[in-house]
Amino acid sequence: MKATKAIFKKQLKATGANPESLIQFIIFPLLAWAMLAMMGQDDMVSDFAALPLPQYLLDELVREMITAMPNMVTMQATIFAGMGLIPIVAAVIADDIERKSLRFLSMAGVKPSSYLIGVGGVVFFLSFFSSLAFTLVGSFFGMEMLIFMGAMMSAVVGSIVLGAAVGILCGNVQSAAGLSMPLALVLGFGPIFAQMNDGVARFYHVFYTQHLNLIADYLNFGVTDTPLWQSFAIIWANIAVISIVFALVYRKKGIVG
Amino acid sequence: MISVSMTNVEKSFGENKVLKGVTFETQQGEIFGMLGPSGAGKTTIINILTKQIAADSGECHVAVSSSEIGLMLEHDGLFVQLSVMDNLIVFEEIYGIPRSHTMDVLEKVGLTEAAKTKVTDLSKGMRQRLVLARALLHKPKILFLDEPTSALDPVTARGIYQLIRDLREAGSTIFLTTHNMEEATNLCDRVVMLYNGKIIEEGPPKDICQKHDSMKTVQDLEGVFVKLTGGGLK
Repeated sequence: MKATKAIFKKQLKATGANPESLIQFIIFPLLAWAMLAMMGQDDMVSDFAALPLPQYLLDELVREMITAMPNMVTMQATIFAGMGLIPIVAAVIADDIERKSLRFLSMAGVKPSSYLIGVGGVVFFLSFFSSLAFTLVGSFFGMEMLIFMGAMMSAVVGSIVLGAAVGILCGNVQSAAGLSMPLALVLGFGPIFAQMNDGVARFYHVFYTQHLNLIADYLNFGVTDTPLWQSFAIIWANIAVISIVFALVYRKKGIVG
Repeated sequence: MISVSMTNVEKSFGENKVLKGVTFETQQGEIFGMLGPSGAGKTTIINILTKQIAADSGECHVAVSSSEIGLMLEHDGLFVQLSVMDNLIVFEEIYGIPRSHTMDVLEKVGLTEAAKTKVTDLSKGMRQRLVLARALLHKPKILFLDEPTSALDPVTARGIYQLIRDLREAGSTIFLTTHNMEEATNLCDRVVMLYNGKIIEEGPPKDICQKHDSMKTVQDLEGVFVKLTGGGLK
């Protein structure tokens, strides 16, 4: 516990010393808010007002357009949890391995689990506030807020463990960036494509980011083909599989470098 | 009492056999020097003793647990985003050391005024002193120093020598590698000379010099080394 606390504080200070790294935790909720503000219903009504259609048809058209479009909160939350976090965690761990800092921590008696919980804990902590910001932008309150936070933080855990596996596997920052970015793109953007194509949606049905997307969409529109419990179960099953991958990578490569 | 020992240790990296049956032991409370040119296998020996790599064969013994060891290695492993003080605080919290002791160590290495300086803004010498401070923080029983004064100015190096002597007075064993024969002569109680993965000579520096001084041509350890190997140290 002492070691975990020390690593957590060290990582928090390191993040604070590099304010640029905090942008990732702010930009996605901010983008969701900006996009929502820019794509308001009123603007669409005025855009379509010139069309020679009766008012009830114009209203229906605008409603259809809004429903068919990916929701901005859903989209940005999925991109944040799937794409933003994996490279961050991978880079931090790969950097500590590359600089041999982990060797000194290990010699001081810090267990790999303490190190990973300390580093992952900071990302989890910061992501918690980003997720709260998403709930405000998406106007999720009460039970909706709990469900959304539950889904977000579960997906965050999945991405943290996956990022840790990438960081350990690569062992240096350059390789970690090379591997984590395509992985993050696939996980972060896949669910957005899945909204536009049924084949892609079927493929992504096994991925945790897709179910974060589905849960958030359900909270926005109130309809879903996949029950909530099933989406949560698939997210947690993903975390279990990712943890096994992590354990295999850890056994093969170790953490000391 | 034996602090560190190696018996008939061998280690290869691919086709390259780095250690060829290395045997030595160090006593508690002595400054023990491992001398040899770059590539002789000195760092490999430290890495084996600190369990960072495994020997292919032979036996190793270190009398204390890894958390009672202090390390100053070729790669400093500092957290470059943090300040001098914050680097030490990480280990202070891991070891459960009071802040007053951390401040004492910081003062001993002459970094009190640089406590808030970010590691990336430190000079090579200051960085080396910070690494030493980290190694000394938990009052280690055995201190492994890999080329501790390489690339340091003479004044900083002398400061580090004094710290090493103080540690010996406090009962710690110091195991240092160096290719600086003058450093070894002035600092070490005993040395071994490593060449091509084998130990070619061992003993107190003065005894080694006397042993090879029959023709009055050898005056220091470097002379002994050149005589034994027919080559230089660099």
